[in-house]
Amino acid sequence: MSKEYNIDKIAERINRIEDVLASVAAGDLDARINAEAEDDLSGIEAAIDLLIDDLTDELKQREKMQKEVEDKLSKIQEQQKTILQQQADLLELSSPVSKVWDNVLILPVIGTLDSQRTQVMMENLLEKIVETGCTISILDITGVPTVDTQVANHLLKTVTSARLLGAECIISGISPAIAQTIVHLGIDLSTIKTKATLQDAMIFAMKQNKRSENVKLQSLFTSSDEKEE
Amino acid sequence: MNNDLHEKRIPIIKIGNFLIVSIQVDMHDKLALQLQSQILQEIEKTGAKGVLIDISVLEMVDSFIGRMLSGMASMAAIMDAAVVIVGMQPAVAITLVELGLEMPGVDTALNMEYGMEMLERRLNDDDISLY
Repeated sequence: MSKEYNIDKIAERINRIEDVLASVAAGDLDARINAEAEDDLSGIEAAIDLLIDDLTDELKQREKMQKEVEDKLSKIQEQQKTILQQQADLLELSSPVSKVWDNVLILPVIGTLDSQRTQVMMENLLEKIVETGCTISILDITGVPTVDTQVANHLLKTVTSARLLGAECIISGISPAIAQTIVHLGIDLSTIKTKATLQDAMIFAMKQNKRSENVKLQSLFTSSDEKEE
Repeated sequence: MNNDLHEKRIPIIKIGNFLIVSIQVDMHDKLALQLQSQILQEIEKTGAKGVLIDISVLEMVDSFIGRMLSGMASMAAIMDAAVVIVGMQPAVAITLVELGLEMPGVDTALNMEYGMEMLERRLNDDDISLY
């Protein structure tokens, strides 16, 4: 079985293989040799074609996976954005300071307290105290389920800073669980005015208001008496 | 040097029974110490019963000034004069508390008016207890 090999033809076919490989390397995955003849060289040509097929499949799959991953990533990034936005919203929403009476501010706290939130809360409260000139503020923690050392510390800091500004800060609504934890943790709240409910705190605040008003009137009277004398 | 400090003296104004000190320059340690002795001397000289220190324009109070203020309150107290610190900024209050300077013996008021009222009330209370 002897076959005549035409050198020119073989050279042509090898050139063809070279061209196809080059175009595949350049990115054209549709290029194939598609050999017609059946001889020793055609096996290699077919193998190369197969290889290119495999490569194409592999590349396509990879592209698909990459796309999926990118999709997921963008989705996650979007979700993260929403979460951050909501966190910021919550932070702002969660510490409203409102003036409820002459000279009385209320800061109702609902939900778990963390350092960041208490920090924002403290700043809001102090700003509001200065802004409104109210000398009594009530920190109602009825809606706070648990208190740990850090949070208790932050509450103490808030009350102390308010005192430094010249305002009195009352804490109301300490639940039995919180009272237990605070005492067990060894935190001393004796320097802070605490009241059972928001109502008690309001009554206390109003009494305090009345007292200072009475004193003001008294001093007015005494000074006018002195003038008359 | 002495002249320099003299120029930056913080004025102490006497109104009725009270001294009013309005700090309107940045405090440095020397000035703070000078102010402290100046106020104490003025208390002795005038027999003032109360001192109002307005720090509403101070944007920064360091631990030294904080300690000076609380120290001065105790010193004035044993000289029978109450010290009220007036108009502290929120940021300053937070800083002092973070520094652990909670100034337990010092009275504070939101503004000069409240501070005056506070001192007057105290004076009245003292009067009542006499009779």
